Amino acid sequence: MHGARGALLVVLVAVIVFLAVPSALAQCELGVDRIRFGGQGVLTGPLADYGRQIQMGMQLAIEEINAAGGILGCQLEMRFLDSELAPAVGVRNARQLADWGAHFFVGTDSSGVAMALGPVLQELDIIQFFTHAATHRLTEELVYEQGIKQIVRVAAPIYQDAVGALVVKDMPEVKRWATIGADYEYGYVAWQMFKDLLKRHRPDVEFVAEAWAPFFTMDFTPHIASVMAANPDGIFVTPWGGEAVMVLRQALQMGVFDRIQVWWQSMGGSVDALEGLTREIQADQFKGKLWASARYIHNWPDTEMNRRFVEAFQNRWARLPNYSAESAYSSIYIAKAAVEKARSLETDAIIAALQDMVIETPAGVRVFRNEDHQFEYAVPAGRAMYDPGYPIAILGDLRVFDTSEYWRYPPFPPLD
Amino acid sequence: MSFQVLLYQGLVGLSSAMYLWLLSAGLTIVFGVLGVLNFAHGAFFMIGAYLAYTFYGILGFNLAVSIALSLVGTAVIGVLVERFLVKPIMHLDHAFQLLLTFGLVLIFDDLAKAIWGGVFMIPPMPRVFQGAVWILGTPFPIYNLFVIGAGVAVWLLLWLLFEKTWWGRIVRATAADPQMAAALGVDVKRLYTGVFALGVMLAALGGALGTPVRVVAPGMGSFMIVQAFIVTVLGGLGSLTGAFVGALLVGVLSSYGTLLFPTVELALIYLIMAVVLLVRPHGLFGRARA
Repeated sequence: MHGARGALLVVLVAVIVFLAVPSALAQCELGVDRIRFGGQGVLTGPLADYGRQIQMGMQLAIEEINAAGGILGCQLEMRFLDSELAPAVGVRNARQLADWGAHFFVGTDSSGVAMALGPVLQELDIIQFFTHAATHRLTEELVYEQGIKQIVRVAAPIYQDAVGALVVKDMPEVKRWATIGADYEYGYVAWQMFKDLLKRHRPDVEFVAEAWAPFFTMDFTPHIASVMAANPDGIFVTPWGGEAVMVLRQALQMGVFDRIQVWWQSMGGSVDALEGLTREIQADQFKGKLWASARYIHNWPDTEMNRRFVEAFQNRWARLPNYSAESAYSSIYIAKAAVEKARSLETDAIIAALQDMVIETPAGVRVFRNEDHQFEYAVPAGRAMYDPGYPIAILGDLRVFDTSEYWRYPPFPPLD
Repeated sequence: MSFQVLLYQGLVGLSSAMYLWLLSAGLTIVFGVLGVLNFAHGAFFMIGAYLAYTFYGILGFNLAVSIALSLVGTAVIGVLVERFLVKPIMHLDHAFQLLLTFGLVLIFDDLAKAIWGGVFMIPPMPRVFQGAVWILGTPFPIYNLFVIGAGVAVWLLLWLLFEKTWWGRIVRATAADPQMAAALGVDVKRLYTGVFALGVMLAALGGALGTPVRVVAPGMGSFMIVQAFIVTVLGGLGSLTGAFVGALLVGVLSSYGTLLFPTVELALIYLIMAVVLLVRPHGLFGRARA
C-alpha cells in the first residue's frame, strides 16, 4: 500500500513538472525562465537614497510590466546590491549578478564605479543601463573611443551640470564665482564645464575661489569659510544628496545667503535634497537665491506619461521619484522596447534595436545617440521654492534649454 | 590674504576639531586602559546620532535631554558589546580586535538601516542656536561656538576625572599594571566595562552634537573613524592630551589646507602624520607600551 502511494506521488509530481515547466518556457518567447535585471547603487551613508530610488524605480517598472504580461511573454525578475560608491565593490557586484544569471544590469551612482565597470561589462558581455553616474568619459571615452558597446546611459550626463551657466549669464550683477566642489572627477569636470559655458556668454565673470570636499564630508564649514573669504557673488556647488543638504544648512548658519546673490546647487533638484531642505525653503531662509539643476524633476514635463509615473510611484512607495528612480524606471522600459524589437537577449541584437531609438519616457522624449550610446533629453533648471500643492519643496521658475546649447557632441573636443 | 581671514578660518577649524576630539577621546581611553583597538567606535558615533535624532527629531524632547538620553542608550549598548564580544578577545592580538570590531561596524550599519531606513535624517536646529554672531567682521554660527565650548568642557571634565578623582587614579593604576591592581582588590573587569562605556559615550556625544547641522545616516561614523585614528596616532595612542592636541592639529590644519591648498588638503593631514611618526614613532604624547 505504502509503495503504491509513493509511486502515485512520483507520477503526480512528474505530471505537474511536465505540464508546468514547458508551459512556462513556452509562454516566454525568448526561451528563458525569466529575464533577469541586476541592479546596483549606493545604499549606505548620506547618499544612500539614490541607490534606494534606483531600486524603487526598477521594481515599479518590473511590477508594471509583469502585471501586463511581461516582455514577449517572459516575466521579469530583479536583484539589487549596494555599490558602496566603491569601484571594487561595483565590479564584484557585477560578477555576482552575472553569476546569478543577469541578462541586463541597471544602476550605478558614482562615476568612479561606472568607469571601473566599463571593461568588466565588455568581458561579461552584458549591457548596463546607467541611471545616475554622470562622467562624460563613460560614453565619450569608453563607448565612442574604445567601442565598449555594452554601456548605455539613460540618465543625463555631466553636461546637465553646466546648464546653470545659461541661467546665470542673464544676471549681470553676478560676476565673481566660486565653487565648493565634490572632490572627485564629477566635481572638477562639472566646474570646468560650467566655467567654459559661462565664460563663452559672459567674458566679464571671474572665478575667484575653489574648495573641494571628498565623499562623506560631514563638516563643510571650512570649505564655506574659505570660498567666502574671496567675496563671491555666486557659488557653484556639487556635493549632492545628504551632503548637499548639509552644506546648505551649514551655509545658512554662517549667514552666507546675506552675502551672495546666487547659490547654484548642482543636482539640488533631487527629491532627497528638496525633502531635506523643505523646512528652510518654506521659511524663505535662502531668500530666493537657491537655484538647482537635476537630471529629471517630478513636476516637469507636464505630460500624461509623467503624471501617471509620478502617481504610480507615490502610490507604490509613498515618496516622490528622483532622477535616479526615473532613469531606472525608464531603463527597464527601454530594455523592453529593445528586446521586443530584437526578439532576442543577445547584446548585438539589443544594440541594433537601440539604434536611432526615440522613446517617450516620464522625463520626456529620449533620443538614443548611436555614436556614444547616450540618450539625449532636456531637463529644466529652476529656483527652489515651496508650493503647498506638493508635499515637499520643488524647483519652480523653470528654465528649459535646448540640449544643443550645452551638451557636447561627437567628435568630442578635448576639455580645456 | 588678511590676518582676519586666517584667524576666522582657524576658528572654523576649531569647531570641526571638537567633533574629532570627542570621537578620538573615547578611542584613546579605551585603548589606553583596555588595550583594545576599537574600530567600531565610529558605529557608536552613529548610534549616538541616531538615538539623539530619535528623541529630539521624532519624539520631540529638547536637544539637551535628547543628547543625555542618547548617551545613556549608547552606553547600554556599549556595555553589552564589551561584556559579550570585546571581553572574550581582549587577550588576543590587535588584528583579531580590529576584525571583530570591523564586523560590528557592518552589523550596526545594517541594523541602523533596518531600524531607521536608508534615507538620511535631518532634525531642525533649536531656536536658541539659530543664527550667527559677528566675529572678526564675519558671521560665525552660534552652534559652532557651543560645540567649541562643549569640546573644551569635556576635556576639562575628563582631566578632572582622571587626575583628581579616586576612580580616575584607580583607572590609571589599572592601565599601568592590571595584575597589581587586581591583587590590590580592584575589580578590573567591572572597571574595564565602565571605561568602555565612558569611551562609547564620548563617541555618542560627538555624533549627537552633530545632529542639528549634519545629517544622520547609516555609515556616517565610518569616515569619521579614519580621521579619529589619525588623531589618536598623531597624539599618541592612549594619551588623552595627545588626542586633544591631535584633534586640534587635524581640525585646524585641514581647515587651513582647505583655504590655502584646496586640491591637496587631504594629503596634507597624512603628510603631517607621517612626519610626526618619523620624528616621534609613538606620537606627540604617546609612550611605548611595555
